[in-house]
Amino acid sequence: MRDATSAAQSRDWRAEIAERLTSLRLAPAEEADLSDELSQHLEDRFRELRIRGMSDTEARRVVLEELDGEGSLASKLRDVVRRGTVPAALGTPVRGSVLGQLRQDARYAMRTMQRSPGFTAVIVLTLALGIGAATTIFSVVNGVLLTPLPYRDPQQLVVFYGTSPEKQLPEVSFPAGLFVAVREKSRAFATMAAFEQPGFTMTGNGDPVRVDAATVSLDFFRVFGMAPLMGRTFVAGEDRPDNTNVSVISYGLWQRMFGGDPKILGRAIKLNGNPSTIVGVMPREFAMPVRTDVWLPLALDPAGFNCWCLDMVGRMKSGITADQAKQDLIATVDAFALARRDVFPDAKPDDHAKIVVMPLVRRIAGDIRTPLLVLIAAVGVVLLIACANIANLLLARAAVRNREMAVRCCLGASPRRIATQLLTESAMLAGTGAALGLLFAAVALRLLRRLPEGQIPRIDQVHVDPIVVLFAVGVTVACALLFGLAPALRAARVDLQTNLRDGARGSASGGARRVSNAFVVIQFALSLVLLAGSGLLLKSFQRLLSVDPGFRADNVLVARLQTPYPRYDSAQMVRSFYDRVLERVAAIPGVRAVGLTSRAPFTRGNPQENVIAEGKEPKPGEPVVVSNVRNITPGFFDAMGTPILKGRSFRASDGPEAPRVAIVDERFARHYWPNGEALGKRIGPQGDTSAARWRTIVGIVPNVRHASLGEDPSLQIYEPFAQQTTWTNYVMVRSTREPRSLVSAIRAQVAAVDPEIPLYEVRTMEEAVSRSLLTRRLTNGLLTAFATAAFLLAALGIYGVISIGVAGRMREFGVRIALGAKPGNVLQLVLQEGVWLAGAGIAVGLLGAIWVVRFLRSLLFGVSAFDVPTFVAATVVLALVAIVACLIPARRATRVAPAVVLRE
Amino acid sequence: MVQAMLDRELKKGSAELLILSLVEHEPRHGYELSKLIDSRSNGAIRFHVASLYPLLYRLEKRGWIEGRWVEKAGQRRRRYYRLTGEGRRVLAAQRRNWRQFVEAIARITGVQHA
Repeated sequence: MRDATSAAQSRDWRAEIAERLTSLRLAPAEEADLSDELSQHLEDRFRELRIRGMSDTEARRVVLEELDGEGSLASKLRDVVRRGTVPAALGTPVRGSVLGQLRQDARYAMRTMQRSPGFTAVIVLTLALGIGAATTIFSVVNGVLLTPLPYRDPQQLVVFYGTSPEKQLPEVSFPAGLFVAVREKSRAFATMAAFEQPGFTMTGNGDPVRVDAATVSLDFFRVFGMAPLMGRTFVAGEDRPDNTNVSVISYGLWQRMFGGDPKILGRAIKLNGNPSTIVGVMPREFAMPVRTDVWLPLALDPAGFNCWCLDMVGRMKSGITADQAKQDLIATVDAFALARRDVFPDAKPDDHAKIVVMPLVRRIAGDIRTPLLVLIAAVGVVLLIACANIANLLLARAAVRNREMAVRCCLGASPRRIATQLLTESAMLAGTGAALGLLFAAVALRLLRRLPEGQIPRIDQVHVDPIVVLFAVGVTVACALLFGLAPALRAARVDLQTNLRDGARGSASGGARRVSNAFVVIQFALSLVLLAGSGLLLKSFQRLLSVDPGFRADNVLVARLQTPYPRYDSAQMVRSFYDRVLERVAAIPGVRAVGLTSRAPFTRGNPQENVIAEGKEPKPGEPVVVSNVRNITPGFFDAMGTPILKGRSFRASDGPEAPRVAIVDERFARHYWPNGEALGKRIGPQGDTSAARWRTIVGIVPNVRHASLGEDPSLQIYEPFAQQTTWTNYVMVRSTREPRSLVSAIRAQVAAVDPEIPLYEVRTMEEAVSRSLLTRRLTNGLLTAFATAAFLLAALGIYGVISIGVAGRMREFGVRIALGAKPGNVLQLVLQEGVWLAGAGIAVGLLGAIWVVRFLRSLLFGVSAFDVPTFVAATVVLALVAIVACLIPARRATRVAPAVVLRE
Repeated sequence: MVQAMLDRELKKGSAELLILSLVEHEPRHGYELSKLIDSRSNGAIRFHVASLYPLLYRLEKRGWIEGRWVEKAGQRRRRYYRLTGEGRRVLAAQRRNWRQFVEAIARITGVQHA
């Protein structure tokens, strides 16, 4: 009897204690120990009080008072009971250790991922590609646009030049006289320097080689704030005209040509045959102008206004903005122009100089800036679409997991706890995707570095550095939040009763459906923007490829030659050299035609002249016509495959002593003589008043594209090489076989005439043209890939959402069919939903695209930014994709067997 | 009133010392410890279940005492606590501190040991 009471009593104490420990959520084993020990104590105390004569009730009251008398038991135990090692049931909030909870969530997420490997693989791969592509593009943006130049206070460095849009001259260099005046008067700059970029042939160290050289004013190196690695730069007195006695070389040349010889200073080399002493070596990171190997002093003649050929770079005073510098330069040039009417006869007080001041970093990035920005935006959009897709996948799975969530809630998991768990799963998916993505980016960057040199400026700066990793991490976190938040938020609002009842059926609730639908609309909108954008670019590219460049690029080899001055100090000597070279090259088997030009198409530089036509001289104040000028030999047009439209080509008889002649292109002819009577008319350089200035037009040729297929063609005139001789020229060889196979034979023939003259910049015309398109091709390729990925993802997205919708409505369809609905009606019902979603997306997308394409404008060619066919095509493609994607689940809906679904 | 004050103030400073002293020579279970404190202080100091056990667990967590379940024939199992090596060092130090404290108080207040 007594034992029975005691046992009952003891159970009672345990219950009292258990009740007070609930909030601690102890592991069962630990709770049992605690409860054993404490209930034993209470029991002992209870007996003691009974022995002292208290009644059961009274003793019990005292015991419980003592238990609760000094505050809650749980709160006192909270700090001392063992935690962290406690394997709590999933979903229960483990108090305290955030890390422990995280580890637990991560373990659980791992198990979930392993349970559905296909699902996990799809998500991880989508993310890997998305994050990988984003990281790759960002690496390039980071290296090319964001990484500061390696010079002191690089944000103060700018280049500046004049511009003359009305003469179709986007960039006008300065003459020395103007530069010297500006340098003296300008208040916005701490230092400024001028430079030119001639090429030089270097001898005296093995075979003759061609080096990229820059002649620079004395302050040049000071502008960048960079000291030489060894030796010195130039000092006052060395800036004499044509002084090649001292030279500073690049780190690259030092390593390449001299094997990093530590005793390089004082070494004698020959530049264009002139002796020169190496006085300094610049550090590896110094690359101004880009790819320069040798620097020589530049003489600045304050009275020099003949050659408008100086490039300029300056360091703004600190606190001065580019715009202030520009205003300062304009004021300085205006004042100078008004003071020097002898040089600027047209200067008027209300005319202002047009000057461009551009941050050096942007100048170096050049044309690649816009494509890069477009690409990073595009890849961001793809990533957004991918995230929307993954969110939908997770939402769909969340619907399937409703019951699991509900059970965990019943077991005491707070909604917050479940949301955290789901977010952890998302984070792990994103993390795995990101790790793969970084790998992908590293591989992609390696491929990018294999592009021909110069395609992407500063590509050596492009690598996966901490900033890139930080970016990847940021993107990953953003992704995880983007696609994890919707499912997590939904889980936090879980409705137990409904879920336990319906959960197993895997139907998504109305709220989730609305979110999924919204995602589909967004995906379609974004896809349309990308499709329309890439469509416009592809169409531009097609237009570009169909441009007639004015020559036939197939089977043409181009190579550059330079007769060094002063070893060749007369035009006669130069002509004799080239004549012999051309004669020998023409004799090489496989050579069909050979010609010479002072500047080949698709090469750097573009010599121009102000040209006037006899009887059509511009009145004062009228703009002068600027024309590209090329000096060519009679074989040039044959070698280029450029047809003579009217008149004749040059002949051998158009020699130095013969009457001066010229050939002009169609545009030039039409400009002066719109009615087509250009032949026999005379043209000449502006400002030349000698009797010998007039050249008679003897032929008309089509316009030859000079630097790119997409350029706005400029006017062109050709003069016989024999009458206007240039020291540097390009040999153009048209062959009957693969042109590259002729290179060594041509080189041998040149060496036979003069062994000290190298053949350089050797390329086929096809290579030159295709290289000019490479950046565009790359941009288009990537953008098309992104657009394709986007609309495939969108298709998958709408397919998924409609499929889930259909799965949830099987019973409804069953009823409908049982009540006599035809399969067609059901099909229509489902399709309608899909079409509505896609339609809404496309409508929003069209508005978005119209807003976005303006940023593409500078990349378009021959296509309006609002090209209707492109927009229509993008719309139709997306609509078709949507219909196909919906058709599959729709057909599934029509095949419902009413008997089966209704029985379920 | 006095009881409450004594409890609060003394327990705070001395509770650890009391427990460690009581398990110095032999292992004891919780109820036994509360009885001993009660009786040896003539009821001046009392530890009830809600403050005793958290204290015991805290000392155990610090590694000063060690609890072990002991089952004796015909009895329910009980948890006995004994002093660890670390606990012994702490006890010595606390005794020293306590003695210095009490002597200091005595010198100032003139209250002598009984």
